[in-house]
Amino acid sequence: MWRFVAGRGAQYLLVLCLTVILNFGLPRMMPGSPMVFLAGEDVGFLTPEQRAQLYALYGLDQPQWRQFVTYVGNLARGQLGYSFQRGRPIGEIVRERLPWTLGLVGTSLVLATFLGVALGAVSAWRRGSALDLGTLGVAMFFESVPSFWLGMIFIAVFAAHLGWFPIFGAGTAGAAFEGWGLVVDRARHLALPLATLTLITVPGMLLIMRYAMLGVLGEQYIATARAKGVPEGRVLRRHAVRNALLPVATVFMLNLGFVVSGATVVETVFSYPGLGRLLYEAVLNRDYPVLQSTFFIITVSVIAANVAADLLYPLIDPRVRRR
Amino acid sequence: MRRGVGLLLVCALAMGGAPPAAGQPTSQPSALRMAITRDEGALNPYTYQTGYPGWNLMTLIYEPLFTPDADNIPQPWLVRQYTVSQDGRTWTFALHPNIRWHDGRPFTADDVRFTYEYVRRNPHSRWTGQVRTIESIETSGPTGLTIRLNAPSSGFAAQPLADLPILPRHIWENVANPRQFNDVVGSGPYRLAEMRDGQFYRLVANDQYFAGRPKVRELVLPIIRDATVTFTALRAGEIDTTVRPLAPEVVAEFERAAGMRVARGAGYASTILQFNAEHPVLREPKLRVAIANAINTRLMVRLLLLGYGVVGSPGYIHPSSPFYNPAVTFTASKSRAVQLLNELNYVDRNGDGIRDLPDGAALRFTLLTLAGNPVRIRGADLIRSWLRDVGIDVRVVAQEDASIIAQVWPDFDVCKGRRFDMAVFGWSAPVMNRTTALRDLFHSDCRQGTINIGGYRNPALDRLGADLAAAVDPARQKQILFEMQKIVAADLPVHTLFYQDGIYAYRPDRHAAWVYQKGQGIVNKLSFIDPPRR
Repeated sequence: MWRFVAGRGAQYLLVLCLTVILNFGLPRMMPGSPMVFLAGEDVGFLTPEQRAQLYALYGLDQPQWRQFVTYVGNLARGQLGYSFQRGRPIGEIVRERLPWTLGLVGTSLVLATFLGVALGAVSAWRRGSALDLGTLGVAMFFESVPSFWLGMIFIAVFAAHLGWFPIFGAGTAGAAFEGWGLVVDRARHLALPLATLTLITVPGMLLIMRYAMLGVLGEQYIATARAKGVPEGRVLRRHAVRNALLPVATVFMLNLGFVVSGATVVETVFSYPGLGRLLYEAVLNRDYPVLQSTFFIITVSVIAANVAADLLYPLIDPRVRRR
Repeated sequence: MRRGVGLLLVCALAMGGAPPAAGQPTSQPSALRMAITRDEGALNPYTYQTGYPGWNLMTLIYEPLFTPDADNIPQPWLVRQYTVSQDGRTWTFALHPNIRWHDGRPFTADDVRFTYEYVRRNPHSRWTGQVRTIESIETSGPTGLTIRLNAPSSGFAAQPLADLPILPRHIWENVANPRQFNDVVGSGPYRLAEMRDGQFYRLVANDQYFAGRPKVRELVLPIIRDATVTFTALRAGEIDTTVRPLAPEVVAEFERAAGMRVARGAGYASTILQFNAEHPVLREPKLRVAIANAINTRLMVRLLLLGYGVVGSPGYIHPSSPFYNPAVTFTASKSRAVQLLNELNYVDRNGDGIRDLPDGAALRFTLLTLAGNPVRIRGADLIRSWLRDVGIDVRVVAQEDASIIAQVWPDFDVCKGRRFDMAVFGWSAPVMNRTTALRDLFHSDCRQGTINIGGYRNPALDRLGADLAAAVDPARQKQILFEMQKIVAADLPVHTLFYQDGIYAYRPDRHAAWVYQKGQGIVNKLSFIDPPRR
């Protein structure tokens, strides 16, 4: 047991170290310098001295290895540093944005998992029926549509045309709601991005569930249960679905780790202030500190989700319990 | 389990941002909603991001001494009276007496002196260079100010006077790293009431403003990243206007739409065919003129901009600019192009349809263009086909911005040279507004011609550039600029293709007093407040 824990621990530590190195290296390997974003549009009117001064201000004049040492040192002290572009502490920006992303992507993941499991189970149970084929067809459709396109259609139909939902944002800009008014306003703004994200996530879950169910339904114990006269509904819920859940749980845990990376495309289309958009904008602006920090946070949460999965598996499936 | 989902949802909704702090008045239904495209930092002079509209919005909060009028001529604003000495080196100002900072402290000449010295010490890409010519600044009393320059400077009224916003000394004097300082106490007609990263800014009118009450009580600036969504929101009435210009394809639709109005005016941003004047073949002016003759810029404006634009002037300066030389004209002619190429003895020697240089190499160039910009890509393709018609082979290479810059303008430092043949490039509106634009664009010394990305050299133009920089009298400036445009038109270090018009849609029932500032657009101080009475 302890050997196992130590082994896993060492593995995760190694992944973490590699990430720290890649986080530093990858943004700097992109073509283009952050100069234009540090200097703004007047970059052309700087003298070489001013340019050098500006680089020095951000420590970009230092050799790469020294920048790396500084970065690791700050990270060890829990300091994420300042955004080049926003001039604000990154910790503060992330704290502001994280709740939006968790609300959108987290809720969507939970919803999509429930829907995927339910639809996948029914689909497999009624394999070959019109219901199964219809569900599969619809799932394939949503699996293959680009999320920005789906988002645009939702905006055009449900927001612009029917006026049921707002077109953009996470709340009415500049309005100060309180209590229920606030919750309703937030929910109205959340509806369309949540629907978009959920609809494109469901098919993956559904297909995994359906496949796992088909496997389980062919097992001897299902036949045994039926032979014993167990009611169909009970066979479905107790005997089949429970045993087919394991792959879904795996995918769920994997996705859970990536929740903090946000949903860049959906967040951009709906002007939702999540971490995915922050990351995307940081790439565009060569905002190295923000890139390093957000990638680091994503890695840590993916590792944490993996650890959680390792710990939860034995509870879900007694077969993987170890001594 | 289902209850779990509901709970998660409510938690998420509740967590996403606290209600505004107590004491801040909340948004009114009368608020004017103007969508912007990205974050602009804390909207103070060291953190705003874009030249347009960032600078324009920031100067609603922090004000320069002068303000450009609708024709972009700098006019005194915080200044009640001013005089310039005969030699152009001494500027004396009397400030308006009743200006206050948003925190109630009086605005004085000492704040101005502090600011001009502050940007000298704390490098700012826009202003540090502008205050370089200042020799000394003296104050006399709270409203008196004298600035002495070490040489007369032609652009001084425009930059820094109408460009550099004044900082409150009592807040900034101990700020060592302004790029990480997010205070927003200014003196302008609006103050920042609320700011949400990635969501919106909210500005409210400053009722104590010295020049009177602003026309709009409250400005809400939501950040909408996607262009289609922005215009959908505008059509649906969820926003009242946007800083995004309308694409030519949708102008007619917005002009017809009920409750919408479209403001259209000259755009000073240029689209140019940039030559590498150090290229062994393209350094020949006659070849550049031949290439220009093969390009039908009139047709480009019709095809690419659907007519919403102005054909490029060969002297670079936009025909709407007060400095435009109308005597400088260019009419493209394919036969003239062929004639010039023949005169240069560039003829097809091997029968492949491509002209060859005297040494046998084919007349072949690479044309760089920006991948994310459909207008430029289609423009580059038109140029390719027109040049092919006269026997010049052009390969169009579309790349993302950073890669283009790495070849055309490495490290944004023209002293570092260049490695390209030709590029479809462009400059933003502020370049046109700089009095010294033609020196900056074409002076051979890379420290003066800081955006001479083609490495063009012409001693006559250099001399005129030096004269221009020292000319204070507008009539004299105009005279020099006329000469410079003649040289540029004859040599064509760049071939100016066109200037796209600025076209903006808004809902007139929400706010109709928009002022179109020439070359730039409707987002400027004049749209929100009338100039102070002297």
